[in-house]
Amino acid sequence: MAENMKPTEVESRRLWSPAGALSSAIGAFSRSAKRYRMEWWILVAGLLIVALILFMTFFPGLFSAYSPNSQDGPQLKAPSPGHIMGTDNLGRDVWARVVYGSQTILGVAISASLLSAIVGIPLGLISGFAGNWADKVLSLVMDSIYSFPGLILAIAFAAMLGPGVVNITLAVAVVYVPKYFRLVRGQTLQIKEEPYVEAAKAIGAKRSTTLFRYVFPNVIATVVVVFSLNIADAIMTEAALSFIGLGLPAGIPDWGMDLSMGKKFLPSGTWWMITFPGLAIMLLALGFTMLGEGLAEILNPRLQEY
Amino acid sequence: MKRILNYLIARILLTIPMLFILLTLVFVVLRVMPGDPVSSMLGGHAPQAVIDAKREALGLNKPIFFQYLDYLGQLARLDLGESMNFKEKVSTPILQKLPATIELTLAGIIVALGIGIPLGVRSARLRRTWQDSVIRFFANITYCIPVYWMGLMFQMLFGVFLNLFPIAGRVGTRVDSSEFDRTGFYIIDTLLKGNFTAFGDVMYHLVLPAVTLGLTLSGVFIRMTRANMLDSLKSDFVLATRARGVAENRVVYTHALKNALIPVVTMLGLEFAALLAGAILTETTFSWPGMGRLLLERIYNRDYPVIQGIIIFYALFVSVVSLLVDIIYAVIDPRVKL
Amino acid sequence: MKRILILALGLAMVIAGAGVFAQANTLVYGTTDKVTDMDPASAYDFHTWEIFQNINKGLLTYTPGTTEVIPGLAESYSSNAKGDEFTFKLRKGLKFTDGTAFDASVVKWSVDRVAALKGDPSWLVTDFVKEVVVVDQYTVKFVLNGPIAYFPTIVAGTPVYFPLSPKVYPVDRIVKEPAELEGGALVGLGPYKVTSFKRDEEVILEANPGYYGKAPAIKKVIIKYFADATTLRLAIEKGDIDVAFKTLNPSDITDLAKAGKLSYSKLPGPFIRYLAFNTDVSDFKDKRLRQAVAALVNRPDFNQKVFLGQNAPLYSMVPQGMIYAGTDFKTVYGDGNVAAAEKLLKAAGYSAAKPFEFDLWYSPSHYGDTEANLAEVVKVQLEKTSLIKVTLKNAEWATYKTQWKNKQMGVFFLGWYPDYIDPDNYTAAFAGTSGSIGMGIFFSSKEWDALFEKEQTSIDAKVRADVFAKVQKMWTDEVPTVPLFQGNLNIFTQKNVSGVKIGPTLIFNYDVVSKK
Repeated sequence: MAENMKPTEVESRRLWSPAGALSSAIGAFSRSAKRYRMEWWILVAGLLIVALILFMTFFPGLFSAYSPNSQDGPQLKAPSPGHIMGTDNLGRDVWARVVYGSQTILGVAISASLLSAIVGIPLGLISGFAGNWADKVLSLVMDSIYSFPGLILAIAFAAMLGPGVVNITLAVAVVYVPKYFRLVRGQTLQIKEEPYVEAAKAIGAKRSTTLFRYVFPNVIATVVVVFSLNIADAIMTEAALSFIGLGLPAGIPDWGMDLSMGKKFLPSGTWWMITFPGLAIMLLALGFTMLGEGLAEILNPRLQEY
Repeated sequence: MKRILNYLIARILLTIPMLFILLTLVFVVLRVMPGDPVSSMLGGHAPQAVIDAKREALGLNKPIFFQYLDYLGQLARLDLGESMNFKEKVSTPILQKLPATIELTLAGIIVALGIGIPLGVRSARLRRTWQDSVIRFFANITYCIPVYWMGLMFQMLFGVFLNLFPIAGRVGTRVDSSEFDRTGFYIIDTLLKGNFTAFGDVMYHLVLPAVTLGLTLSGVFIRMTRANMLDSLKSDFVLATRARGVAENRVVYTHALKNALIPVVTMLGLEFAALLAGAILTETTFSWPGMGRLLLERIYNRDYPVIQGIIIFYALFVSVVSLLVDIIYAVIDPRVKL
Repeated sequence: MKRILILALGLAMVIAGAGVFAQANTLVYGTTDKVTDMDPASAYDFHTWEIFQNINKGLLTYTPGTTEVIPGLAESYSSNAKGDEFTFKLRKGLKFTDGTAFDASVVKWSVDRVAALKGDPSWLVTDFVKEVVVVDQYTVKFVLNGPIAYFPTIVAGTPVYFPLSPKVYPVDRIVKEPAELEGGALVGLGPYKVTSFKRDEEVILEANPGYYGKAPAIKKVIIKYFADATTLRLAIEKGDIDVAFKTLNPSDITDLAKAGKLSYSKLPGPFIRYLAFNTDVSDFKDKRLRQAVAALVNRPDFNQKVFLGQNAPLYSMVPQGMIYAGTDFKTVYGDGNVAAAEKLLKAAGYSAAKPFEFDLWYSPSHYGDTEANLAEVVKVQLEKTSLIKVTLKNAEWATYKTQWKNKQMGVFFLGWYPDYIDPDNYTAAFAGTSGSIGMGIFFSSKEWDALFEKEQTSIDAKVRADVFAKVQKMWTDEVPTVPLFQGNLNIFTQKNVSGVKIGPTLIFNYDVVSKK
């Protein structure tokens, strides 16, 4: 595999500094803009979607005149100029719920991904670097969890912890720890064998120095890309959990929950209640996926295998 | 042959620690859960003496560690125990619901491959054209569509507005399932009985759930097929075939595709866990009486033994499939030395 | 793609044309309920009880659709002057479908079995009955722990008192599936017998030829079990089933009623919903706060928003349609009475700057999927005053129960299906010291307990009427619970079906139904 690497990447792996990484990234971008025209567009589109939704999350008041919990509208009204996405069965504005719901789902998905990265990365680093019996046990445990359908695991955890923002975040985070662990461990094993790490060892660098100065920075570059994809995944998991009723208590606008509410009204033909929250989930997940994929293909085609 | 056998044994032995780890995790998770299965079973009026007696009978007043040992002992005897909610063996409801889940999952795989492979091949052949872009965009989108949302959309469109397909259940109310139900696989059962009306109805009910599940997974197969086709089309072997003057279509669909499909089979094994997760959501959306619905129902009632049983079954299911995929892989790819 | 569509269409037509239940004597009945154990010693839910009501008979029974108690397997009954002994004269010459003769010893055997097996509903025997005495072959006497005014309604309404064949039911264990019974079939003395049983799918009943009463017009009843309300609605809409009962979504009921293709009846049911307070350790120990909540709740508002107007506001714990039912909460508080609530809250020391903050608990699926909506609407109603700040919390049923037992919830939504049809079961169960503990309310008052005992042991209608009037009045002051609404029973049938009579007893007698 290593022989396929482009020179820039090999360089960037050697010694890591923020400025160096940035300049090489910019270099890679400009050089690849031509070669990866489509990937470039994917990246830009993903970035746009994510930025737009993030903006909406931080300034919901700019987008919706209604409060997501105000029950003053007419019940079950189809989209009209007053309520562009219609109203739900309690007379709440669907658009307002979509706007404010983005806070919930993004908050959970991003913190869950961060949390699993915080747990998974050090475990993977240490496990891969140490490579003793602890590594074997840890790998076995992580592989077991990884091979099991993540959603089912999240369901079990969400049911155990009960509803609530913190609890659902934990339930989602559990699922993705093995993902980071496996990625980082694999990378660590590879980087450990690289000449510059061997060299550092040879000149008597301490184990911790080797780990943090040479191995960690190179691992982290790949993690960033996976992180974006992971958020997309976490978005889907959060929405699924709240759709089956294991998410948040009522009162917090949440797309998955609104979908399950709308499901009850399906035979009555109130299509707007199920169409818009679902579209929102899809768009948000799509944004992060495109962002991640674009980054992955342009920066580091090797990542595809993960 | 002997080598394959050894490999098989090793693989099977390896699944045991995996099952054990999952089981321990789930066991601990469940016992930490707030909520008492006994009070959920009994009405508000049950006197404390009755509650205590039931807890005693279920072994719930022992320390968790001993409950765990008891449970492992039971498992070693291949006994999953008894449900806490109903007076039934854990395996009874699971075996009852398992066929429905398998039927749905298999139908989902067929749809996913049926869409994924042809589109993947097309995308690879027309690389970097607008068609390729559209197909790749489609692949990206399917990955991001929540399966239950697509289900809802199909229900709304084909069930409610167009009234073309049923949106819930495995058979219609008019069809008496007790007349043919033997194995629980309704497709097989109805055919065995020669009841073609019922068979038609079963297939008819399968359409929307299977398409929903299959579509959301097709993206992965499109991408996988495309990537492998690109490699395969560039390979010396295909170039040689082309040079021999074999028709282009034949080159693509027979020679190149055959090679490209091998990794797709592996992918199938890897994606199986995702498929099962998707199946749970599809079951919820389409009121499909499978294991996913059973799991959710029993979680609400804190029926520990059944929840554990379902997790074991899911884990076994995943292991068996990945084992099968490995074997198939070994059979179709002569380069693999087991 | 086009070809597939045509194929599917063709298939649809084949199926639509095939196998419609055209027979006038077969009734297909759909429900989202579930059957539990097929044993009166263990089953404790209305749907399973309904099946028992149709395959068995009580010594007494109800006139279908009413609360009038009439003779069943007993020709007559009498009680002693004190009201603690009831003697029943049994019908002679009856036989169970397995051939076992019916007599006093069978009655004693059946009731003793329930008590001995200690199943969930066994308290309905052991709390009341001291001893069952066989006086002679066709006379049986129940000696009670004390006088109980409403004992006949318990005998008529609760299957724990139904005679079972001793040759069929095992004496020492609870039966779950009919297959476990001797002979593998449920046999009884009622108008029907069960001929096929598939849990969660269908149960088939056929007319019992040995039934002592009028032979039913419907010879075969097929009960179909639906996984959710939406599916049930579609089935009745498409004509796949004849009767849909328990439980459709409010929107489905509105749609179906509006479409007008089905017969629809809406009756006040015995099911009530209320807010319970922990009156012992929470903030709600202060009754002014309980009163404030009672004042703020707006029943017509949530009934419209959440239930599209399909239930009935409830202004006393004793629901309408029940004897002695009042409407005291309406006269004392009304609905959405913000002014009264603010006065109470201010008196308790709260202000806009320091609002009364509390968690409002609900259980998301136990009472159907409208529950989250109900909680959301009530939260908004309570927050109509700036002196209250509500956080919604939820827990699945098993957790919920544990939490109220452990006094972890201050105010929470609950619901109640009666065990027997008497106002006592709607009052003492919540505010009597022992009943109140079981509901997580922990209300206890010597004065109230004395009133309940008076009402329970008196057979004088005047005395009981006075007690219940007084208790309902006192309820608005102490507010151990806030009554919210009374569930209506919504029954849809095809137009050719008549005679579906389901009253406050919630008993659905299949034998009085007919079909053109």
